[in-house]
This record gives sequence, structure tokens and C-alpha cells, in this order.
Amino acid sequence: MKVSFPYMGTTVIYKKLLELLGHEVITPPKPSQKTIDLGVKYSPEFACFPLKVIMGSYIEALESGAEVLVTSGGHGPCRAGFYAEIHRRVLENLGYKFDIIVFDELNWGFMNFYRGFKKLKGKNSIFKVIDSIKLVYRMIHQLDAHEKKVERLRAYEVHPGECTRAWDRIKEIYDGVYSEAELEKANKAANEILDSIKVRPVDERQRLRVGIVGEIYVVMEPSINMKIEEVLGNLGVEVERSQYLSEWVDFHMVPHRFSKPHELEILKKGERFIKIIIGGHAKQTVGYIVDFKERGFDGIVHLMPFACLPELVSQSIMPEISKQLDIPVITLSLDEQTGIANSLTRIEAFVDLIKNKKAKQTA
Amino acid sequence: MEGWLLRVGIPRALLYYYYFPLWNVFFEELGAEVVVSEQTNKQLVDEGIKISVPEICVPIKIYNGHILDLVKKSVDFFFIPRMESIKRGEFFCPKFMGLPDMIRYSIPGVKDKILEPGIKCATEKITDFRNYMNMADPLGVTETQIRKALKKAERVWLHFRSLCKAGFMIPDAMDVALGQKSKAEIELPRWPGDVNIGVMGYVYDVYDGFVGMDILNRLTKIGVSFRTFEMLNERVLGKQLKGLRKILFWTFSNKLLEAGYYFYREKVFDGIIHVTAFGCGPDSLLGKVMELESERYGKPFMTIRVDEHTGESHLQTRVEAFVDLIRRKKISHGGAGI
Repeated sequence: MKVSFPYMGTTVIYKKLLELLGHEVITPPKPSQKTIDLGVKYSPEFACFPLKVIMGSYIEALESGAEVLVTSGGHGPCRAGFYAEIHRRVLENLGYKFDIIVFDELNWGFMNFYRGFKKLKGKNSIFKVIDSIKLVYRMIHQLDAHEKKVERLRAYEVHPGECTRAWDRIKEIYDGVYSEAELEKANKAANEILDSIKVRPVDERQRLRVGIVGEIYVVMEPSINMKIEEVLGNLGVEVERSQYLSEWVDFHMVPHRFSKPHELEILKKGERFIKIIIGGHAKQTVGYIVDFKERGFDGIVHLMPFACLPELVSQSIMPEISKQLDIPVITLSLDEQTGIANSLTRIEAFVDLIKNKKAKQTA
Repeated sequence: MEGWLLRVGIPRALLYYYYFPLWNVFFEELGAEVVVSEQTNKQLVDEGIKISVPEICVPIKIYNGHILDLVKKSVDFFFIPRMESIKRGEFFCPKFMGLPDMIRYSIPGVKDKILEPGIKCATEKITDFRNYMNMADPLGVTETQIRKALKKAERVWLHFRSLCKAGFMIPDAMDVALGQKSKAEIELPRWPGDVNIGVMGYVYDVYDGFVGMDILNRLTKIGVSFRTFEMLNERVLGKQLKGLRKILFWTFSNKLLEAGYYFYREKVFDGIIHVTAFGCGPDSLLGKVMELESERYGKPFMTIRVDEHTGESHLQTRVEAFVDLIRRKKISHGGAGI
């Protein structure tokens, strides 16, 4: 089976899992202007931005020969749970022939999950599948650890761009991993690469830290969030996101008894402002702001797709949160109309603001 | 509480149009005075817009406007239910679920005066007393009182719903159910007529004077008969979505989807008009599904999307053009045998 998937974040991971199960994987190209244009053309006008970008990605994948699309599902109340159905209907209407496998949360219903799983499993033995999943699971955690490190180091790199190059190199290394032994080797190599990056020493009191929160797709996919991490890093700011694949997997795909996800704690922290889970990541967004504040972060960048239902609720509360917690927040809503120059100017101004705030506090 | 009535404000927006009879009777039974905000008007909308996040959907902006109106009416409590679920496995749009949170932190002066029952029922008859227990303390009432009030409220609401299903439009059905008018005073819209249209749209869009612009009466005026989702029988609707791979997870959107399919499948309907408000998330997907199905069933489908700048003449022209198109089609198909 020629399999493809939506492009989001560290795609080498999805690729790896499908490859290990013996499928031919077609990685869709990184979302570009062309992807967005394609997506916008065929998606419902008022659908949210991720739906449009993924639509474009699917079209590009199907054009390069994909036969099966694998994606995650959901049960609402955020629109993302219905993406797959809309994508299927629109793409079929365009005349594409394909199969779509939707993984709904394992923590919700087992049978649906199992059906999709069986299709992907193919002729592999169950042991092979478990081994593959285990390997990929460890890989996710390792990659996320490396990425977090990159996001910290980038603020202080001596040679501009070195961290980004290192991160690309690490992903390439992991792309060649097919066994536990190779994973071990890759981890070591990645650590060496990261250790060799030259950084400026910075006084603890001058370190600026910004948390990036918001809707998962725009937070995780650099090509549609103006590479916000790089932008902030180049301005000398350490960043950390609210969303990492490893945490998503721990929260959604592994029974909580085993994974004890960090997200449960975050949800608890969000309760102060949003009482129940209202879909998407709105409560997590709010919870992470509290969490980042407690850990001494200096500012928050809140990303959302234009007119995202749950994030609009968190955006409405944002002024009050910012006031109560005394932490500056900037909300950027992204869609196909986003002007990069405009947003960059706002981010620069925001960084200046938190820099001054910090200077005043430490003085 | 003796000799002094608590004033509870209910905004005339969102699910007011579906549950007001129930809530009204409930509060009156508990000895409170129910204060309803004004009909949606331009000024109220403008004020709502000013305190809302720019991107949010029009119905929420209008809701905020109504809350501000109630602030002016200096009520003691604002009734802002947190609608979570009225059907197993289904929810409301995230904005309904986070509504009290959103209002609490964005509108000054309401913070400690919000009554927010968390509505979580297995059926749309939302009279499980446990949902309302968090209002006992602020209102100073007991569980028994709440249960009793809900029982009476339930009767009135069921009567209201049966009137809707008999073809009464919601404002009329409310008047009758609450005993302000008798059935005989109201002239039922004709059904079926020579042109019959299914109107898809949430109650707070279709019946809101600002968003819906009185579309139902406009249709009547140009000799068109119509049905909306709340006029249809649940038993008929329930069958419509069988065989679909995945249905939506918002209860009212599913009702619209059911109604939409019903309009497509039943011969008597000549076309569908979808009334939606700018920025409605669920409708962005629902509309696409309906649009794709329109081709399959060969029936005309039109979307009217209203925002805070839309003028009435726009709606009038489009509706007239749509109806003319249907009439012409009927004539060319040998008209008489409808």
C-alpha cells in the first residue's frame, strides 16, 4: 500500500511507523504556498485553516501516487474531529480514488481503532507491530527531547542558523533508524551534534523565555506558523511549546494509567479559567499559560487558526488571564491571508516589551 | 427573600429561542422575576461587537450585546447556562460550552452574578434537577423546590414543542405555551403550498430579527410555504442519518443535517435555504456537506450568510430570485401537476 498522512511537525515519526509495517510511504511535501492555495481552493470557505492546509497536503500526496491516507479522528466538540469526513467527501467529489483510515482516540472506542489498525497491520505479526510501535514510541520521546534542547540553545548560538541545521541533521539521522541498536546510535549522535553547538554564555537573569501555546496544528507545524520558534530564537528568546507529539501520544493513544500524561496536570491548572474541556486545546492553552508562569517564563505567544472555535473562547479570556497572572500575551491568528511582515513586526515589538519588563524587574 | 423578588436576567439570544418557556416557568415557580433583554437591534449588536473578540461568530457577539442590555436593566442574576450535552456522545459548539467562562472574564459587572447550570442530559428535555443544583444557594431555594419547578416547567416546554411540531412558528408557540395568547388568535402558516421550501438554520439565527431578518414572514408574504427543523417530528428526523459514515458531534447541527437530508429526500420540498451567521464553525462544515449533496438529489440549495453589516435588501433580493427560479422550473416541468 502506498500510504500518506497529513503533514504536521516532525513527520519522520509517522513515516517511520508506516515504513516499519512494510508500507511504501509517500511523505507529502512540506506545506508551501502551493499547498495552501490548493487547499483553500477546494475547502469550505469558512472552514478553519488546518483543514485547508491538510486538504492541500492530501491533494499533493494523492497526485504523487498515494492510495491510502492515514489520519487521526476525534469526537468533537472541535471541528477537527470531522476533518476526515469532509476531506473524504471533497476529494472523492474531485474524482480521486483512495482509502482513508481514521484513528479515533483509543481512549474513546476500541473497535474503530482496531479496524483501522488491522488494515495497517497487513500481514505483519502482532509482535512485529508491537516492536515497531515501541521503537517509534521511544523515538518520539527522544526527538522531542532533542527539539526542546534546540529551542533553548537557538537563542544563544554563536553561528546563526547552526541550531536549525543541527535539528535538520538530527531528523535525517533518525530517518535511517530501523532497530533498537540504531536508535541508540542515533540518540548518541544527536547528543554529540547538540553538544558541539557553540553558544554564548548568558547570565541567568537575562534569559528570556517564551511559551508558545494554542491550537495543536499551528503550534506544531513551522511552515504555517511563520517558523515562529526560529523567529523568536533568532531574537534571543528561548521557547517551549505547549504541544509535542510525545505528549499528544501519551494523552490520546496510551491508557492514562500507564502514561500518566503531564497534560492531566495542565488541565487541572486550566480549570481556574475554563471549567470543563470544551474541545480542541483551549483548556490546555489556558493551563499551559498558568504552568509557564509558574515556571518563570516571561511571555506567551498564543497561536490560533482564524476563527478556531475553542481558541476563540481562550482568546476572549486572554486579557483577564494576562492581568491576573501578570504575564504578557500576544495572540496571533493565522490563515491564508496572514501577512508575515505584519506579524513579525508585532513579535519584535512583543520581545522588546518583555525584555524591558524583565530589565525593570531585575533592576 | 420575603417581599423582595430576585430579578433573573435571561438574554434573548442563542437557546432562548428553544428553551425560554422552560426556563421562564422554572424561575417564576421559584419566585423570581424574569427579565428578558430587548429584541436584537442595531444598537445592541454594536455594543456587543465592541466587547467581543473580533473573529468570534455573530450569534456570540449578539449574545454579549444582550448581556450588556441586562446589565443596564440591573438584574440580580444573569442566567448563562453551560450547554454541554443533550444527547449521549454529542456536544455543543465549544463556544456554548465555554460561554459562562467567556462572559465572566470579558464583560465587566457580571462576574459574581452568573447562574450557570451545567446542562448535561440524555435527552433534549433538559429537566434533570441535578443540572440545576448549583443555583440552589445563590437563589436561596431547596432541592424540593427546584424539582417541583422543573416538573411544571417540563410540562409547559413539552406543550411548546408540540406546538412547534404542529407548525407554529417559535414566537407564536412561546406565546401560546406561556398562556399569553390563545391558539385561535394565531393564523398558522399555510402548509403545504404551491412552493415549499425547507429552511435550515439554528433557531437563534432564523428567529433573531437581526440575523434572520424575519425571513419566515418574508417567505409567507411572497406566497411560499416552509418548514424548519423544529417543526419536524423527531421520529422522522432520526432516520435520516442512518448509513452515514460519521455524523457531526453537535446536537443542533445534527438536527439541521437531519432536516437537510429530509428536505432533500421528501418530494414536497422544492428547495433549501440555509440561513447562517458569519463565523459559524459547525455551519462551515455542514454547509459543505449540504452543497455536495445538492447535486446528488438535484434540488436547489442556497446559503444566506449574515454578518453585522448585512442589509435587508440583500436578503430580500436573493430569496425572491431563488423562489422565482423554483417557480420557473416548475412551470417548465409542466407545472400543474405539483
